[in-house]
Amino acid sequence: MKKELNTGVKSTWCPGCNNFMVLAGLKNAIAKELEKSDKDDIAIVTGIGCHAKLFDYINMNGINTLHGRVLPMCLGIKTGNPNLKVIGFSGDGDAYAEGIEHLIHAARYNADVKYVVMNNQVFALTVGQPTPTTKLGFKGKTNPEGVKLSPLNPIRIMLASGASFVARVSSDVKQIEWILEEAFKHKGFAFIEILQSCLIFNNINLKEKMYLLEKEGHNKGDMGSAMKKAEEFNYDSTDKIPIGIFYQKEREIFEDKFKQLKDLKNKGISWKDIQR
Amino acid sequence: MKINILIKGQAGKGPNILAKIIGNVFTKWGYYIFISRDYGSFIRGGTNSNQITISDKLIMSNENKTDVLVSLEKNEDNLFIGKKVIEKEGEENMYFAGRLAKLFGIDFEFLEEELKKLGHFEDNLANAKKGYDDEEIKFKLEKRNIFLKLLNGAETSAEGAIKSGLDTYFAYPMTPATSLMIELAAKQYEKNFFVLELENEIAVVNAALGAAITGAKSMIGTSGGGFDLMTEALSMSGVAEIPIVVYLASRPGPGTGVATYTSQGDMDIARHFGHGEFPRVLTAPGDPTESEEVMGQAFYLSQKYKIPFLILTDKHLAESLYSCEKDAVVIKSQKNITLGRYNSYESDEKGVATENPEIIKKNIENRLRKKENIAWECENFEMFKIHGKKDSKNAVIFWGSTKGAVLDAISELDVKGIQIIYLEPFSSKIADELKKMNKIIVIENNATSPLSALIAEKTGIMIKDKILRYDGWPFFSDELRKEIENKIGGNS
Repeated sequence: MKKELNTGVKSTWCPGCNNFMVLAGLKNAIAKELEKSDKDDIAIVTGIGCHAKLFDYINMNGINTLHGRVLPMCLGIKTGNPNLKVIGFSGDGDAYAEGIEHLIHAARYNADVKYVVMNNQVFALTVGQPTPTTKLGFKGKTNPEGVKLSPLNPIRIMLASGASFVARVSSDVKQIEWILEEAFKHKGFAFIEILQSCLIFNNINLKEKMYLLEKEGHNKGDMGSAMKKAEEFNYDSTDKIPIGIFYQKEREIFEDKFKQLKDLKNKGISWKDIQR
Repeated sequence: MKINILIKGQAGKGPNILAKIIGNVFTKWGYYIFISRDYGSFIRGGTNSNQITISDKLIMSNENKTDVLVSLEKNEDNLFIGKKVIEKEGEENMYFAGRLAKLFGIDFEFLEEELKKLGHFEDNLANAKKGYDDEEIKFKLEKRNIFLKLLNGAETSAEGAIKSGLDTYFAYPMTPATSLMIELAAKQYEKNFFVLELENEIAVVNAALGAAITGAKSMIGTSGGGFDLMTEALSMSGVAEIPIVVYLASRPGPGTGVATYTSQGDMDIARHFGHGEFPRVLTAPGDPTESEEVMGQAFYLSQKYKIPFLILTDKHLAESLYSCEKDAVVIKSQKNITLGRYNSYESDEKGVATENPEIIKKNIENRLRKKENIAWECENFEMFKIHGKKDSKNAVIFWGSTKGAVLDAISELDVKGIQIIYLEPFSSKIADELKKMNKIIVIENNATSPLSALIAEKTGIMIKDKILRYDGWPFFSDELRKEIENKIGGNS
């Protein structure tokens, strides 16, 4: 189906923010995905932070939910209606600080949910505090001595937790559109990190260090190679940042493991349609 | 007539199954039964006990005395308990079922019928027969033709939720809420709904809200500590207007508290959970039949008004077995939710976050109006009940699982019992009821008497007389009766 995705709501992102690219890539990918079906069958979930404003800028059903709780909300929507396509969005605070436990379990459950983390390595909406992926030494008003605690490597966490699709891209419209298409084709939990900058609080250019795994002949079916590639960038300092699909291997999805949900899927209905 | 039997034995040796089997045998024999369980936080090794009270009239509590002690182990303390002691080393639990059945002159066939519902029938039958032959009839009970069911609050809550059209139930294990999850998990295939255990209570409540926005009738269950973790999301259900039913089975806190004992210490968090101002309903059923009926009201009101609806219970009601006389009336409800744009922010009619003062004010006023409408509609339900001597000038007022002990305690006293079922909203008629009284006593299973504070807040009436128990145990009717008599001072 065709659907007007613009909401006409005036954006409050800073002029030139990387988030505009993400939104453009997302709209393109969603428009393509909607064409495949005659139903408005995509739901989006956003957390709290700058990223979450995209909920107001795209005309989609779903929920702009609590900080850190995007993934259980996505799983709940899938459980309520396994026929919906569900995309969750988080920032790095949302995904790696407040909601890290859900991230690990979401990878383990492998529901057919697409999850996009817009990682600018800083809390921007609360004006510049460090997140779990902030560089060592980063200074702000809440940490005047600079960040002393080592950053997490979410790609490694996702690989270790059993995510069936693990990718990282830059905030480039074409790349985002491409990776979302790949994620939609993948049956299972897809983790996509968009490594971007914040023009105000973390204005660093990582793009020039990035190289595409797909051009290097990386074997995305091999966990060992994926782990090695994940270790090339530790979110602190580096010469090279691999982007593209680190790992992809389908396995049985959450919705197919439970008879009740499988039945709903097979009949193309949700619990809402069951009158008792 | 009342007979109190105490069954104790090491966890793992099956004292609980023994109590349930013997309870069902007495039920089929035509007697009212009440069984409460006392167990610690252990799986094997510690001593579990089951207190069974048997009567020819309706009872819903135990007395603090033992007429017959059944001990699965020999213990020198046993000599000091009860008029009759049945103890034997090295026998299986159903041996004792046989002895108990014989002691009360119950036909063996009644026990045999119950044993057919368990596994290992041949072994159990042989053990029971041996016990039956080893004992003599001492307290002969005549067979009576009364049809009763022996049920606990968790079983009827599950039944109520299923009859109300439950679609999805999410929980993280926590005593004493897990007994409901076990009931639902066992029935989910036959009745076609879905039970899911997630990584923690925060995931549980958020996933339940996710299912709810797709239109599913969604419910969660937990105890105090887990509930504390859920309250942020429940606050969101207030602003985003998402229906959710919450089964809160409380236990003594604070902290991990006393995990396997009972308490009514959570009324305040259940009334005041979540930041911000938004409508909610809080109910506290007092017995298994009410637990089932309230469940229907929970789904009806939460769907209609898109609000969180809490059912506050505790270990005593969830896990004690009651003789149930009548079938519960569970009202039907529609599914009222369609997937649209929901928001944890204050939002406009398109689901877009807003900071516009006019919209903020309008949204808040809409929620306040909803609160008034809910209060008005709740008056259609039994928000409170009057028990005991209805024209008495003495009243005891109580809520939740104390109902059983209170009703048994006042059955022969000049006392009216006022049972509050809806704690939020609070019926406007209760004040009139209280004003008619000369003497009012609040009875609660807690230390700070939140019911007194609630009554003061809602009616302006300050009640000084209180009977409070806060040692992790429920009230016993004989002790409670004496305390009530002392408070009303010779009036009865």
